Order: sequence, then C-alpha cells, then structure tokens
Amino acid sequence: MHEVTLGMNGTTEDIIVLRDLSKVYKDGVEVLALDRINLDIAAGEFVAIVGPSGSGKSTLLNMVGLLDTPTSGQILLKGIDVSRASPNERARLRNKELGFVFQYHHLIPEFTALENVMMPMLIAGKKESEARVRARELLVSVGLGERMDNRPNQLSGGQSQRVAVARALVNGPSIVIGDELTGNLDTKSSQLIYDLLRDLNKRINQTFILVTHDMVLAEKTDRIIRIVDGRIVCEMRRQGDEFVASEKCDLGEDGGEIRRD
Amino acid sequence: MPSATKRIPAFELSVVSRHITYRKRGTALSLAAIALAVAVSLTFVALQDGLQEFLFNIIVDDLPHVTVTPKDGDDYIHLYKSLIEWAWSIPGVVAVSPGLGTTATFTHKDNVENVEMLGVDPVEMDKIYNIAKYVTDGDLNSIHGGKRVVICRKLAERLKINPGETVVASFPDARPAGLVVSGIFDAPTGWPEDIALVSLSTARDFLNEGDVVSSVDIKLKDVYLADAAARRLNDLGYKAESWQQLYPEILRTLAIEGFQNILIILLIMIIAAFGIGSVMYMLVNEKTSEIGMLMALGATGRMIRDIFLLESGILGLMGGVAGAVLGLIFCLYLKSQVINMSSAGGQQVTLPVIISPWNFAVIVLTAALLSVIAGAYPAWKASRLDPVEAING
Ligand SMILES: Nc1ncnc2c1ncn2[C@@H]1O[C@H](COP(=O)(O)OP(=O)(O)OP(=O)(O)O)[C@@H](O)[C@H]1O
Ligand SMILES: [Mg+2]
Repeated sequence: MHEVTLGMNGTTEDIIVLRDLSKVYKDGVEVLALDRINLDIAAGEFVAIVGPSGSGKSTLLNMVGLLDTPTSGQILLKGIDVSRASPNERARLRNKELGFVFQYHHLIPEFTALENVMMPMLIAGKKESEARVRARELLVSVGLGERMDNRPNQLSGGQSQRVAVARALVNGPSIVIGDELTGNLDTKSSQLIYDLLRDLNKRINQTFILVTHDMVLAEKTDRIIRIVDGRIVCEMRRQGDEFVASEKCDLGEDGGEIRRD
Repeated sequence: MPSATKRIPAFELSVVSRHITYRKRGTALSLAAIALAVAVSLTFVALQDGLQEFLFNIIVDDLPHVTVTPKDGDDYIHLYKSLIEWAWSIPGVVAVSPGLGTTATFTHKDNVENVEMLGVDPVEMDKIYNIAKYVTDGDLNSIHGGKRVVICRKLAERLKINPGETVVASFPDARPAGLVVSGIFDAPTGWPEDIALVSLSTARDFLNEGDVVSSVDIKLKDVYLADAAARRLNDLGYKAESWQQLYPEILRTLAIEGFQNILIILLIMIIAAFGIGSVMYMLVNEKTSEIGMLMALGATGRMIRDIFLLESGILGLMGGVAGAVLGLIFCLYLKSQVINMSSAGGQQVTLPVIISPWNFAVIVLTAALLSVIAGAYPAWKASRLDPVEAING
C-alpha cells in the first residue's frame, strides 16, 4: 500500500477536481443522487452549495470529504485521484487534509470542549501537550477562551458549534467542509460563525465548501453553486459586491431564489 | 504502515477511560457481573482443591501406599517374614502390616452372618489404617490374646451380639472356633460393613494353615515413593502394587471432577462476559453518531475496534480484580467456619479451602480474555460502520 503524498500547491491551482462524478443509491429503488458532476475548486476558495432538499448537496459534500465513495467518476484532491483510495488512506486524508462540521456538532459528551478540539490531533498520534496548546489557541480564536473546560452539555448550541469548528480546524486541513453547519442556529450565531470562517479563509487561505439553505449566508461567500436533481444548474461568482452568473446558469428552471442585483 | 501499528493507543485509551468513568451504570453492571462470576469461581475452585486434598490425605494417612498380594495362582504369601524384612529395608518405610483374610460364617444364637475375617497385627495395622480410634467399645489390641474378635458395629447389630459374648466362626474346611467379642468399631468411610478383625494366629488356626499371610500393607513417609518401593519388591519376585495402581478410581474421580469444574467455571464466566458484550453492544448503538464523527475526524476502523476491545478487556480485568478480592473474602470466611462431621465420632473439622495465587491469576486473566472475546462482535460492528450513515444516526 502506498501513501498518497500531496504536493505543495500555489493558490491558483485547483485543490478539488470532480470529473463526471455520479452516485447511485441502490436500496430498493435506484436514486441518482449525483449525475455526472464536473467541478473545479481552487485552493483558498470560499464556496457555497445551495439547492432544494434532496438535490444531492450532502451527497456531493460526502464525496469531496472522502466519507463516501462515488459510483463512477473521479475525485482529485491536490491533483491526486482519491476516488478509489483504501479506507485507511481515506481516514488518513480526512484527518490531515479535511475538516468537517455538520448540522449537529457531534461533540463527544464525556470530553471537555478543549479535549474535543484536541481529538483530531490525538487521532493523528500527535503529542498531547502540543495538541492542548493548539486547541487552546483555536478555542480562544472562536471566542470560547472561557469555556474550554466545559463539557458539551454545559454549552449552548452556538457555542458547541463553534467548538466543532475549532475541532475541524485543529489539524490545519486544507479543505473545510460544512453541511448546514448553522442549520440549527439562530441568525446571530450563524452570522458569527460565518464571519469567523470568512476571516480564517482570508487569513490562512483555507478552502471552504459550505452547504446552506440560507441565501443571506450564501451571499457572504465568493462562489455559489446551485444543484438540482444531482446536477449543477447554476454557478455564480462574486465580483466586488455583486454575484455574476456564469454562462451555464439556467435560472429559469426553478424560481428566482438567487437574487441578481 | 508500521509506524501506525506501533503507536501508543493514547487516543483509544482516552476514549475508553472516559467511557468507564462517565458511564457509571454500564461500568457498574459489567464490573458486578464479572466480579461475581470470578468470586464464585474462585470460591468453587478453592473448595474443590480443598476437597481434593482432603481425599488425597485419606490416601496418604489412612490407606496403605503399597500392598503386596499373593502371586497369581497362589492363595497365600509364603515365607512372608523375609518379605517383611525386605520391606523394612526400603528407605522411608514407616509401617509394614501383614494380614490374613478369609471368609467366615459367624453364628450367634439364631443369627447367622457371612463376614470378612481379617487376621492382623493390631499395632502395625493401626499405623496404616488409623483404625484404633474408631474402636468405641473395647480395644483393638485385645485381639493379641487370641480367640478374640473386634467387629464392625453394623455386624454386631445384625448378629445382636454385645461385647463379652461369644460368636461361633465356621466355614467349610475350616476349624470352627468360638471368638469373644472384645471390641466394636465404627467403619471408616469407604470400608465394608462386614469386617471382623482377629489376630494372625487366630486366623491361621481357623484356616488350619502354617506361617502364611494373604497380604502385606506398607506405608511410606513420602507417598510419592510408593511406585519405586513397589517396583523394588516386584524385582524381588513379589506382587506389589502402589496406591496409584490400587485405587485408580480415586485418581479418576479427581480428574473427572477437575474437568467438570473447569466446564462449570468457564460457563459461569462466559455468561458474565456476555454481560460485558451486551453492555458494549448497547454502547456502540448509543454512540453510533459519535463513532461516525470520529471516523470523519480520521479515526480508522481499527482504532474504533480497538476502543471497544480495550474497553471490554479493561472492564473484564477490573471486574476480575474486584472479584478476586471478593473471592478471597468468601474463601477466608469459609475457611474460618467449623463444621461437625456427622460420622466418624463427630470430629470438628474446618472446611477444606485452598487459596492458590495461581488459580486467582488464571481465573482473573480468563475473565479478561473472555470479556475481550465477548466485546469482539460489538467492536467489529462499530469498526464496520459507514461514516455517513453513522453520523446521520
Ligand atoms: N443512504 C441513502 N440511501 C438511499 N438514498 C439516499 C441516501 N442518501 C441520500 N439519498 C437520496 O439521494 C438524494 C440526495 O440526497 P442528499 O442528502 O444529498 O440531499 P440534500 O441536497 O443534502 O438534501 P437536504 O437539503 O434535505 O439535506 C435524495 O433523493 C436522497 O433521498
Ligand atoms: Mg443534506
């Protein structure tokens, strides 16, 4: 078994490349969740994925996050095809290169906020003292310097989600994935977390891919990708304060959810 | 990835220790099941070992270690005096008891009983069988005087005879004799109830034989020298057998019981380990989404598996150690109990309990091992979870 070593990349290189990516679920009825998706995401991009319920947003994110395997097509991470990587190799890449935040925080209830944040570093086999220092820094930067020794049941939903964000960032992943990560939060907490991620994205050039239903939040990103029935139907990029639709955008298909100023 | 396999499982251990300390109900349940099973098993084994030693002591203390019998085809051992000399010349011999056995019919008034009449040297016989202490009325040494008999209590009851009264011994080809009952004894456990003890010369007169015996029993200082002693006498042309050859059924009983006990103990511990297995199973079910999240964070299936295997093993070991302490308390309590023996003169004895560190170690480690085995299925199940499905619960 060989280890995939990821090369150094310039900011302009595509960190994620999806080629004809399809996913078919086959329990009982066949569901074509993703239909030949082609997508390039550059390092440092801040991307929102939007679309109606059941359109395949989570499925797409799980593919990119190496949590699930495609039925056909390729996923290239930093130029390396990882679509057929072994389970152990995928686990290693998830640990090193990817950060996850889901709608629910999934913090481990028996561990404090600090220990939860340290977890990915301990999984990587890093020294506990090193992990503690790094986790502390991150908790301070998400504004939880005072709540480090609290356990999840002593934290609010928004605080827990910020701990989850810190945990996703602790190993310095090149890609951070958020699946409706503010779905359970009120507007104020959601704004806070988005601003935090946006700030990190600008400062250390991490790539963020976030699924959201909230167009106000989506418009805080640089690029909005709209998926319907497992296909990318529309792409918009920020230009200054505005979003400009790419040529393939077909807004006639379903409503005017995306405003074009 | 050799580096990954040698990694100290700090992450796995930290998760395990939190589960154990924070999930008190599951921990208490697992520990109680294993501790109880280990304590019961240990007590059982200690009693069993005690009983085995007790049985073994009967061989050592109350039975001959080597017995010489007539050669095949002969009725008697002739020239037994030189055999006795040879026997005494064996190092470690503490008693040599010649005997002359025969069947006889005892008649007292209207009562007739067939008996095993045994001519013995009362002093030497007592050294081997410790029989004198069972004689309640009269005295074993009284048979020295001749024309006297010491009989088993059951026999006396059947003949309706009392000490001092005379019984008539007869048998075809034998010379009938009147014998005065000079003692009555309670048959030790395992003895037949139709035994009558007379002197060697009385037995010879009855049989109308010369200077012969039908058996020579030998006792040694060290019971394990019996085989060597028997071999030596065999080399001299006698037919000698050691206790191992004489009482194979005792050895067999010990072996069979030992096997049965191992089965019973294994069963008890397997049931207790199932307790840990089901606690682990529930834990995996309850923690499914956390397991999925750990996988998303980069935990491999192997790490997840190790968490639950380690947890099972540690719970098993902790329960085992607690059970060892509990078992020790049980054993010490039983050891301190005095019980009255119903037979054999109502002696007071303590329960034979043997506390062996070896048994403790083996049983505790077995409990831990069985717990790991019981945790294997839930651990395997956890390691095979699909991360996406697990996270979504
Ligand atoms: N494990 C599965 N087995 C079968 N079908 C599935 C499975 N997971 C998802 N699907 C189907 O695939 C399609 C895409 O699902 P997905 O979860 O990606 O949608 P989504 O865009 O994330 O929706 P939502 O906004 O509601 O989260 C849906 O039709 C869904 O029913
Ligand atoms: Mg979804």
